[in-house]
Amino acid sequence: MITISIDGQELKAKEGQTILEIARENGIYIPTLCYHENLSPYGACRLCCVEIFKGGRSRIVASCLYPVEEGLEVKTNSPHIINNRKMIMELLLARCSQNEVIKKLASEMGVEQSAFKAKYLENEDCILCGLCVRACEQIVERSAISLVNRGVNREVAPPFLEPSADCIGCGSCAYVCPTGAIKMEDKDGTRVVYARNWEKEFKLKKCKKCGNYWAPEEQLEYIREKLNLPPDFFDVCPNCRESVP
Amino acid sequence: METLGIYVPRLVTKRQGFTPGHRACSGCGEALAVKLVMKALGRNVIVVMSTGCMEVISTQLPYTAWEVPWIHTLFENSAIVASGIEAGMKALNRKGTPLPKAKVVAIGGDGATFDIGLGAISGAFERGHDFLYVCLDNEAYMNTGIQRSSATPFGASTTTQPAGKVSMGQSTWKKNMPAIAIAHDIPYVATACPSYPFDLMNKVKKAAEIEGPTYVHILSVCPTGWRIPTDMTIRLGRLAVETGVFPLYEVENGKYTLNYDPPRLRPVEDYLKPQGRFRHLTPKMVKKIQQRVSVEYASLKEKAASG
Repeated sequence: MITISIDGQELKAKEGQTILEIARENGIYIPTLCYHENLSPYGACRLCCVEIFKGGRSRIVASCLYPVEEGLEVKTNSPHIINNRKMIMELLLARCSQNEVIKKLASEMGVEQSAFKAKYLENEDCILCGLCVRACEQIVERSAISLVNRGVNREVAPPFLEPSADCIGCGSCAYVCPTGAIKMEDKDGTRVVYARNWEKEFKLKKCKKCGNYWAPEEQLEYIREKLNLPPDFFDVCPNCRESVP
Repeated sequence: METLGIYVPRLVTKRQGFTPGHRACSGCGEALAVKLVMKALGRNVIVVMSTGCMEVISTQLPYTAWEVPWIHTLFENSAIVASGIEAGMKALNRKGTPLPKAKVVAIGGDGATFDIGLGAISGAFERGHDFLYVCLDNEAYMNTGIQRSSATPFGASTTTQPAGKVSMGQSTWKKNMPAIAIAHDIPYVATACPSYPFDLMNKVKKAAEIEGPTYVHILSVCPTGWRIPTDMTIRLGRLAVETGVFPLYEVENGKYTLNYDPPRLRPVEDYLKPQGRFRHLTPKMVKKIQQRVSVEYASLKEKAASG
């Protein structure tokens, strides 16, 4: 067991945990956009920055990546940190000036308008946090989308901006996206997963018994092959699979 | 509503304010509903809970399943206590005591909501307190031994209205509680079912974010009271939705949205047949129920279409 202090509170932690995890466990608020507890930390949004004091000096670190150590002193709301977060928020607001999530978070921090003007990306929704990329890689294990290009051209995209052959239409990227840049819609037997610069359409499987659509065909085919199930295994939906007594 | 397959559930948070190890019956749909509600709400909540199954199974002295501030109230006054907490927090904030932001959530069973606490809920909705009311509807007083409530559907056999030679079970139709909530002109009313976990969590999240009184009605299957095998809970919840007996919809500022609208509804018989409490129903009564369900579903669809 390690003892650290966050905002003057003495807290117990296990070795290997990060500052953010300890703070969340103890109800200390640190804003984040790119953190998800079931995915590896990435440190993209920098909103979770905190000030740590060690050996008479202080520095600013991303709390989602910084492992705790004995006697660490952390401050989550010093003036330095608040200024830092406000600057990050202003930059995000310049990029996503129309996004409701970003606007709400900014106004919570007291940022109403950005001092910056985005030349290229005024109505972007994506903040390049990489959650969708990590979810596709670590949860679905397909890596259908990734972060491509550099600098101002950096974006989330499937290879060559064409509908990815690896995408199975599970919707994890749309679910995990904090700003709603990736969307998913089911309508009349088709599912569309789309973002500003790419989209892929999926045919949904129709249940042979009840006639309702219940999952994308490609996803079922992938699961069927992976688990070596018989070819007609997914012909009926889970409700009809076992006959209702 | 999108069907999110087997990958997205792995992205749902593992933290929950309602921990396992409580004493619910096996296959309890209500415990599942509370678990999902707490996952959606997170930790910054104050829970007020009426007497009922969930109170009894989760807080047997000296144990508790709750990891959030939790208050037990009587059957009738969870909405009153919730309003009091909300008003108290407001007053403290006004007088300069800084409080962390917390949502007040009142949870009650169908007995507490439909019968005993209806007046209190109506009052709290009318006064416009900023709180979320969650009704866990298992269609009878299951905790005390399956007595009928006004949520019990037509034809169901309960211990106080058993089916036999004299009676055919419950002789009245189920009270339409969401409609009563809608009639209060509150900003958000929704129906949900734990068989559709993402839909439920989205609705609870949405309701918690809205300022003002909000109401979420959750159908929770009770294997003990409905006389079904314990592994049927999820499927029966799905059947209730797919047959149109319990349609999933939300009403935002008077605007109806039907969340799940299958190309065609299943016959009501699919839903009634597995349940022991409907075992005695004659084809004539099933037909009567089917007619009523069709009419109600059609009128709901009309409302959703006209917006």
